[in-house]
Amino acid sequence: MQDPTVLASCMPGCESLEETAPDEYRMKMKMALASLSGAFDGHVRIVDRNPPTGFKLIVEGKGKLGFMKGEGLLTFSPSNAGTDVAYEGDVQIGGTMAAVGQRLIDGTAKMMIKKFFEKLAS
Amino acid sequence: MATTTIIKKHEPSIGKRLRRKEDPRLITGTATYVEDLQMPGMHYAMVVRSPHGAANIKSIDTSAAAAMPGVAAIFTGKDILHIAGVPCGASLPGLRVPDHKILAQDRVYFVGHPVAVVVATDKYVARDAADAIEVDYDVLQAVADPEKALAPGAPAVHPQWPDNTAFTFHQEGGDIEKAFKEADVIVKERIVSQRLIPSAMEPRGVVASWHAAEKSLTLYTSTQVPHLVRTLIAQMLGIDENRVRVVAPEVGGGFGSKLNVYAEEALMSFVSMKIGKPVKWIESRRENFLTTIHGRGHVDYYEVAAKKDGTILGIKVKLIQDLGSYHQLLTPAIPTLSVLMLPGLYRSKNMSADIIGVFTNCVPTDAYRGAGRPEATHGIERMVDILAAELKMDPAEIRLKNFIRNEEFPFPTATGLIYDTGDYAAPLRKALETVNYTELRKEQAEARKQGRLMGIGICTYGEICAMGPSPATPAGGWESATVKIEPSGKVTVMTGVSPHGQGEETTFSQIAADALGIDVEDILVQHGDTAIVQYGIGTFGSRATAVGGAALHFALQEIITKIKKFGAMLLETEDITYSDGQCTCNKTGKSISIKEIAGAAYRAMKLPANTEPGLVATYFWEPPNFTFPFGAHIMVSEVEKETGNISIKRYVAIDDCGNVLNPLIVDGQVHGGVAQGLGQALWEQAVYDDNGQLVTGEFTDYTMPRAHMMPWIESGHTVTPTPVNPLGVKGVGEAGTIGASPAAVNSVVDALSPLGVRHIDMPMTPEKIWKLVNGRNA
Repeated sequence: MQDPTVLASCMPGCESLEETAPDEYRMKMKMALASLSGAFDGHVRIVDRNPPTGFKLIVEGKGKLGFMKGEGLLTFSPSNAGTDVAYEGDVQIGGTMAAVGQRLIDGTAKMMIKKFFEKLAS
Repeated sequence: MATTTIIKKHEPSIGKRLRRKEDPRLITGTATYVEDLQMPGMHYAMVVRSPHGAANIKSIDTSAAAAMPGVAAIFTGKDILHIAGVPCGASLPGLRVPDHKILAQDRVYFVGHPVAVVVATDKYVARDAADAIEVDYDVLQAVADPEKALAPGAPAVHPQWPDNTAFTFHQEGGDIEKAFKEADVIVKERIVSQRLIPSAMEPRGVVASWHAAEKSLTLYTSTQVPHLVRTLIAQMLGIDENRVRVVAPEVGGGFGSKLNVYAEEALMSFVSMKIGKPVKWIESRRENFLTTIHGRGHVDYYEVAAKKDGTILGIKVKLIQDLGSYHQLLTPAIPTLSVLMLPGLYRSKNMSADIIGVFTNCVPTDAYRGAGRPEATHGIERMVDILAAELKMDPAEIRLKNFIRNEEFPFPTATGLIYDTGDYAAPLRKALETVNYTELRKEQAEARKQGRLMGIGICTYGEICAMGPSPATPAGGWESATVKIEPSGKVTVMTGVSPHGQGEETTFSQIAADALGIDVEDILVQHGDTAIVQYGIGTFGSRATAVGGAALHFALQEIITKIKKFGAMLLETEDITYSDGQCTCNKTGKSISIKEIAGAAYRAMKLPANTEPGLVATYFWEPPNFTFPFGAHIMVSEVEKETGNISIKRYVAIDDCGNVLNPLIVDGQVHGGVAQGLGQALWEQAVYDDNGQLVTGEFTDYTMPRAHMMPWIESGHTVTPTPVNPLGVKGVGEAGTIGASPAAVNSVVDALSPLGVRHIDMPMTPEKIWKLVNGRNA
């Protein structure tokens, strides 16, 4: 689950993810938001590692579209079928993305998260 | 030489619905805007802007951008230290004025703040290079809401002023304490006039061209005030003013947003001087949303004291003005106009106002169509309705009761103005008749029985126009005009106002044609080029015709005097009359045309005594007062319970702008103004989030009124000419905007009053109305 190759393959638009330090990764991703699309350059950090119940992901990125800064808390709990994964998070965006796409962010973020978990599950 | 050629009798053009002379070139797309200019060697600039509401700049790396083929130069904050800051023309006691450098220094204060400029041989290269500039920011906590900015512990927009207060201002008149002590009833309300984005059809644009050999600068810019831009840009850059030429070519709307001097105007001039090439910068629509001034941005706390019979005794207001992060040209002065407008059309002479000007991490606010007066009128007209509801009085009746009486003019107000003239009941009565008010109220009662939400909203507004007497304005309030009768007899008028949609090429032609008794088509009106036109102030504050037109009137009087001197000489008599484009001897009936007189004046074979050759007259006219137009707007609406949608059943606008030179143009001004007023009332709102990000950054999220959203506007007039200027005109550019928002809100509040609704803040979106109707918090 915390293996960069697994994460990279599951993140929609993720083009590369390389480890720069323990629990720190450099990430390049492409994102599309309605009529806007562009490359983001950023880094991902894993903090508050609390196996086996969860960890926190901090993602920061910037590109031509602006910047984003997100925090996500993933928690795992055993269930009948295997493990339930729950997430909660907060995303701050700025630049063109904020001015143009603020109302689209919610939907896009949900869609990306859904894709992420679908891939992770498969 | 004298002839008896018969010249057709001149038909007066004033008062006729003449089509605008400027329209064919606008409609056919053949007009020349800044964007249309092309010059050999032209370079293109792109501005790198802050994506953060507040941040320290840690570093700027331009190396990758500078290495891109086609990039000519990149400049950042350290390169422009010698250029003076963007000027603030307003002065108030104790005003805090932040140094507004044309590129950010070590800190950015709003999203869109210019950080660097890239110049390249191609605009697409410039765009790509701008993206390649790496700015490392240390993001700080921003504050975007004026009331939050005033709260203790709020982030400081400017660290040197932790209370975020740029100024406080108090004005009062009469005896407000006594008024409130004697009151039977006091009504209070918090009324918001939200931030708006002016959205001229043409965004800003600049072409700067430095001529090194002549040490002169030509600056083409989309502005309402070319001469002021020349003076101030010359000062900022340290160039002699007479070596700066500013040209406002066709300007696609301004609404106050181009009554300014912007960083980019100085920046592009600087860049052109540095690289020795003409430089073009055209604002994108997204930049326009982020960096051109916004309008309004008030949170007002009103209190009105009254007698049981509805007599208004006094008005108190605490006015919180969201200034944004900097002062643009007039930013802090705008709310002081609201205070001047505070008495509205009412007799009460007791008034007290406190303004708090607040810094926020947003783009500055400044003049937007009406500039301070719509905010005040909205407040007053809402409060009068709230008072009427409290006293269970009819909103028309309470207004008629409190109006200044006709015999009381000139009327000194509690805020120190002298209202020139008025007949305030006349437009209200006409509007009431137009809608058949008594019947309409019956219809409303019937609708309510059926459970329908029908509303009737009245607004009676006053205005401060024809800005203005010089002592009352920051840059001089006079205006200039030159009339040149060319050797061929054709007439060129040069006006210091710089029209950009108001139609003065037509109305000024009418003024000149009627004075000279010639055809409107024989007159050319020139404006907007400081190398052609004598110094002038510009177009704003409904002043172009009321001040610039009056200047033209006096210039025409001078030229006619001179024409008559030549006519008398040529006809060899002193007993002459000038009319219909000719001088006629009253005894013999012999006449000579203006064309022949002009020929003789320039040929100058013989000159009248003490008279110079040529036929040119220039007049600078200083107005003795503002003018104070007024009017009444009524909106009839019905609210759909299921959707919260407001449908406008009727919209009646009766405006009194004094004499009407061209009813077609006046109607156009009223229609456009009403559209913008309804835009504020119903749809528009600039929204910043808590980090200072502009959420409504494009037309997808910022609802501008469109044609299909507009009601049929039934416009009409009453005519009370002003004695302030010889044309008797008062100005009408802002009237519609001022009248519309209170009429709309009063109408919808009236519709929802059976549900206990007393006030609604703008914009009255369907979502907000639906929640009110369906009992949820709006």
